[in-house]
Amino acid sequence: MIAFLQPLALLGLAVAALPTVLHLLTRRVPPTVTFPAVRYLAETERQQSRRLKLRHLLLLLLRTALLASVVLAAARPVVRVGLGGAHAPTALVLVLDNSVSSGAVVEGRRVVDLLAARARAILQRVDEGDRLWLMQADGLPRALTPAEAIALLDGLEPSPRRLDLGRAVRAAAGVVASQALPGREVVVLSDLQRSAFSSGDPVTTRVLAWAPGVTPENRSLDSARAEPPVWSLSGQVVAAVGGVRRSPVALRLSMGGRDVARAVAYPGDRAALPVRVGRPGWLALRVSLDPDELRADDDWFLAARVAEPARAAADAGAGRYVADALAVLQEGGRVGRGRTVVLADRLAGTRSIVVPPADQAAIGALNRALAARGVAWRFGDRLDGEWRVGADGGAADGATVRRRYRLLGSGAVLARANDDPWLVRHQDVVVLGSRLEDGWTDLPVTAGFVPFLDLLINRIAAGETRSMGAHPGDVVGLPANVEEVLTAAGPQPVAGDRRINAPWEPAVYFLRAVGGDTVGALEVNHDPRESRLAPADAQVLRAAVGPGAELLSDGALDRELFGGAKRADLSGALLLAALLAAALEFVVASVGAKTGRGRA
Amino acid sequence: MNTARRPDLLDPYEVAQLGGVELVAEGVVEGVLAGLHRSPFRGFSVEFAEHRPYQPGDELRYLDWKMLARSDRLVVKQYEEETNLRAMIVLDASRSMDWVGGERRLTKLEYAKRLGAALALVLLRQRDATGFVGFDERVRSVVPARSRRRQWWTLAAAVAALAPGGGTAAEPALYRVTDLLRRRGLVLFISDLLLDPKLALLALRYLRHRGHQVIVFHIMDPAELTLEGQPEARFEDPESGAGVVARPRELRAAYTETVRRSIREWRAACRSGGIAYHHVLTDTPFGFVLRQAATRRTRRG
Repeated sequence: MIAFLQPLALLGLAVAALPTVLHLLTRRVPPTVTFPAVRYLAETERQQSRRLKLRHLLLLLLRTALLASVVLAAARPVVRVGLGGAHAPTALVLVLDNSVSSGAVVEGRRVVDLLAARARAILQRVDEGDRLWLMQADGLPRALTPAEAIALLDGLEPSPRRLDLGRAVRAAAGVVASQALPGREVVVLSDLQRSAFSSGDPVTTRVLAWAPGVTPENRSLDSARAEPPVWSLSGQVVAAVGGVRRSPVALRLSMGGRDVARAVAYPGDRAALPVRVGRPGWLALRVSLDPDELRADDDWFLAARVAEPARAAADAGAGRYVADALAVLQEGGRVGRGRTVVLADRLAGTRSIVVPPADQAAIGALNRALAARGVAWRFGDRLDGEWRVGADGGAADGATVRRRYRLLGSGAVLARANDDPWLVRHQDVVVLGSRLEDGWTDLPVTAGFVPFLDLLINRIAAGETRSMGAHPGDVVGLPANVEEVLTAAGPQPVAGDRRINAPWEPAVYFLRAVGGDTVGALEVNHDPRESRLAPADAQVLRAAVGPGAELLSDGALDRELFGGAKRADLSGALLLAALLAAALEFVVASVGAKTGRGRA
Repeated sequence: MNTARRPDLLDPYEVAQLGGVELVAEGVVEGVLAGLHRSPFRGFSVEFAEHRPYQPGDELRYLDWKMLARSDRLVVKQYEEETNLRAMIVLDASRSMDWVGGERRLTKLEYAKRLGAALALVLLRQRDATGFVGFDERVRSVVPARSRRRQWWTLAAAVAALAPGGGTAAEPALYRVTDLLRRRGLVLFISDLLLDPKLALLALRYLRHRGHQVIVFHIMDPAELTLEGQPEARFEDPESGAGVVARPRELRAAYTETVRRSIREWRAACRSGGIAYHHVLTDTPFGFVLRQAATRRTRRG
């Protein structure tokens, strides 16, 4: 069977029709010449017509064959030579993609089972002279005997890990390239997700890919996060749903095995699941979808921290709008009465939210106080104009600023006025670029002002959470104060470099410091890219892996397997044929011309 | 005599620039006769008629040596036919003759007219009765054979007035000659022979059968010997309008061979019928043709 390594070049076969097309296009009525001796010419033409027709046909065939041979050679045709069960000793890496997506159920069977069945058929053809490696979702090639590999397949389950097929094939090609065997092949058994192929250097090794061929429709949870990161009395979980936007899906938020919120969303949308909680502490939450063909991406695990309402007070210098809003929050129980957090136009001794003083002359003293406290921010020039506040989902988002101080320094920027820092934080001090009054910004007269202040006070009071996201098996760097990770098997101590492999089981793992205090959480979830089940076609495969990659059906894989050592590249023969055709064309054309001239 | 200036040896085109048919014929014939020591066209009969005094230019072989010995007078013997030779020039004026294949050449017709006129003048100079028949597919012009003084001017005018006609059919003209030549005579047939060869040969052989000497001048333009021109063209017969689309590059060799074979066939057919045949290209000086024809005829006579 002939296959082409550069099949796109076959489009050039249209060029082979060029001699015929040119012949037809250039056909025209020839000019008429008066010639008395036409009787001699007619007699000559009668005698020569058969020879001339044969010569013209021969030239047309030779020119067409010449072009067709060149085009076919450019398409790199290869043909199997020799048949039968025996094959040359081959270095074979079997990439068995048992990543998350292999848990999808296709026509009543899991993809991983279909892949394993196909792998067994291949392993039965491995001879003693061959060398075999098996690579699974962890991306590590393991040298095995066929018997060991078959035993491994018997207990094969979908892994919670993602497999980058592009990287896996390149690694496998590197393994076989180092082997001094006549045959070198990489066989990829996978659902061949388009999202699984990273680009990189093309491999020259022969790559044979096979996929079950049926793709189920899938819906997934792509992310979920607590908003705000620290809850006081209530909060919400915002979840993103992925998949084909065909019908809405139901989401459930559960806490300790009990559903606490429900929502409905279309794939591609986000859903908010509100939660009310009674006591402070860390919460392990789980967002779930109704089960579909791929179960592994129907849950998302996350942690939320619940803190007591912050105790806050506002000095007179903070302005009347701040005082009024704080009173509302205190009446509603969102903020307690006390001076844990102070809102003022000066720097208090405790956690502070600092607004610029109304008197511009007081700015110098305030900057000196900030410096003395070790805060990295200062007030700069006062500016008048119009700017729009941009913040990540905060209540101040979109507010208009008309007067502000330029904030100079470095540290966390919580909101910006156009591109300049407007709301910044360093340590336990938050600095605002504008006073919260209507001459400076319209934020105090908008509905978002009270939530803005609520978030600001409670965030300052509670500090930042230490929730970390990871995929199963990822290497994670933990904070310095973390001593152990709480797993289902019990607390696992953390080594000195604070780097661990994330557990393989998706869940929330709390991080503990000395003394047993929970200081953060590790949220381990599936990689959302595993939920994109759309398969790659041959073109994507070649673009990502290299021109030697072939996407094969069942029968084709059986034929092509172990064929690398028995393949012959026909390009050279075709180029030789093209040269021969060119030489023959030259001979036929010049002999005709010579006989025309020579005897005249 | 400086041969480079002799009209009979010049390129026919250059000679034609000197003047009309008569002038060219006279110039050519002067040159030819000056180069010969005897009349080129002679009667072939051996029937003695009378003696006449010798005149300078007469062939010495006709001197009556016995009379010289007996009476010490120079007399030459005259024969019956020599004094009464009747010749007809039959000239093809069909459309195919009105063609020239290159610059600075005469059309076949113009060349044939000048050659015919020159032949007529040679014959008339030796006081032979000479006539003329011009034809295409029919007889176009007839001048009966005479040997009187004004015959040359009559003939020259008829030849000069002959314009290119239509198709070609030599048989009517040749059969007409049999009417015009009651006694055995000389027929000079000038044509490109692009006609029906079987019918033409039949008529020519009939003339031979009637006892006439026949000389065929096969006029051909050098460009008809080979096939040149554009890469592809439709070659059209000026007489019939029939055309052949051909690529000269492909057919050149075979065409040349066909033409040469045709010439060989004409020569062989004429020879087998006792007919003198001359293949004449239109770039051949008239003097060469006249001399060649005269040489052969003398050899025959």
